[in-house]
Amino acid sequence: MKWFAGKQEHKGRHRLSGSALFGQLSDRDLRIVDGFIHYRQFLAGEVIFDSGEEGQALYVIVRGKVAICLPGQHEFPLAELQDNDFFGELGLLDDWPRSAQARAAAPCELAVLFRGDFERLMASHGRIASQIALQLARHLGLRLRQMLQQAELP
Amino acid sequence: MIRVYRPGPVVWAVNIAATCLVLFLFQKILWLVVPFILALIVYYALLPLKLRLVLGGFSHDSAAAWVSGVSFVLLVAFLLIGAPKLLAESVSWQASATRYLDGGLNMLTATLKQLEGRFSILAQAHVSQSLAEQIALFTAQFAEKYLPVIAMGIAAWSPSLLLAPFLAFFMLRDGWRFRKFLIRAVPNAYFERSLYLMDQIDRTARLYFVGLIELTLLDTFCLAGGLWLIGVSGPLLLGFLTAVLAWIPYIGSVLGCVLVVLVAATDFPGDPGVAYAAVGLFVAVRLLDDFVFMPMTIGKSLNMHPLLTVLMIFVGGAVAGVPGLMLVLPVLGVIMVLGETIGQLVTDPRLRARHAHERALQQRLVERDLTLP
Repeated sequence: MKWFAGKQEHKGRHRLSGSALFGQLSDRDLRIVDGFIHYRQFLAGEVIFDSGEEGQALYVIVRGKVAICLPGQHEFPLAELQDNDFFGELGLLDDWPRSAQARAAAPCELAVLFRGDFERLMASHGRIASQIALQLARHLGLRLRQMLQQAELP
Repeated sequence: MIRVYRPGPVVWAVNIAATCLVLFLFQKILWLVVPFILALIVYYALLPLKLRLVLGGFSHDSAAAWVSGVSFVLLVAFLLIGAPKLLAESVSWQASATRYLDGGLNMLTATLKQLEGRFSILAQAHVSQSLAEQIALFTAQFAEKYLPVIAMGIAAWSPSLLLAPFLAFFMLRDGWRFRKFLIRAVPNAYFERSLYLMDQIDRTARLYFVGLIELTLLDTFCLAGGLWLIGVSGPLLLGFLTAVLAWIPYIGSVLGCVLVVLVAATDFPGDPGVAYAAVGLFVAVRLLDDFVFMPMTIGKSLNMHPLLTVLMIFVGGAVAGVPGLMLVLPVLGVIMVLGETIGQLVTDPRLRARHAHERALQQRLVERDLTLP
């Protein structure tokens, strides 16, 4: 098959390979996923999405820092995310409003996986999409366990 | 909770006005619009194959090249194998066409003579005789008067139709890049909404073509079932041809009706009742198609109200003739998605404020070393 597949570039590991969401995928799979990803640059202080906004996409930090805030409720950010972290994952599942605001804490480059593109990925490359979905489910499970542990604390 | 946006009357009026304007402009560049639509159909048919090859390890470019190349070779092979056979059979087609045409004319003349026997006013006007003379004149002049016009039409349209495979190839190869290129130009504040908009437009176009195929199948089975009950020969083929002709509203329907009547009149030369039953069946299926099937399939896939679907077909015909009839629904579907999303963006003060903030940050960044401390 590779004799017919044409020339493809191989320049080290793919820039998404460090993310827990895509870490299980091979470089070839990552190149396929790359066809569905949009890259965006944000300036420090720029709002990426607002709380209450209809979620449509998941964001992976390629480089930079992102603060998760609840303006008007908490003075300081709830979390600060760095390279390879991802956020807005519920936007990949349904159009429920975002629960918090995401704001660039430093100039950053983000990889964006839109829900419609993820659905197309599921239709055309089910194996790859199921691996991403499994990682996403693991991440959500971890978050749920952490919340339960926090709730049990006195 | 989720704030659901409902377009107001202004957005609706703009949508309908924009649809009329686009149809009017499309009529002027029909030579480009027709191959573009054909290319879209080919693109949606070949896209799953291309994606399979990408999954198999091909790059997007080589997958598009292989799918397009193999499809082209198959088409050429089909033409090379099929063309001599088709040419050999064309003599019998001509004989069949003449037989069906004669059958239809005989039925028409017989019907008019019967009417003349009953109504003296028709007999005095010699309706059947003058019609027979006109048909004889038309047949004699057909080759001289109409064939050059038809040949010129085919010659004028052929080069633009050849654009379709090229357009389809570039859609397959570069469509995803073009989408990313367009999205890159969108400011960050509007990014997610714009992605949603492009996704909806793509979905609308895809569902329209799927709806068209469903509509053709429904029409085929209804007509074939009715013709089989009446006893007309080749009901499935006849039903399919008529359903495909119905892609051209009105004119296609008239041609389809003539086809059905010719076959019925030739199969049952002494029984005009069968031809009348075929006409009745045809009219019933057309009504069913216009008022039930079309709103259920194409209208549903475009998420339109059935009344709006029917009304816009008439508006499209009035604005841009036959091309307007054919294009009005997909154009309206795309413009509705565009209009609603733009309406949503324009009426959202938070998105506008975020965009202004982004511009202010950029301005501050480029100006930071301009003033001396």
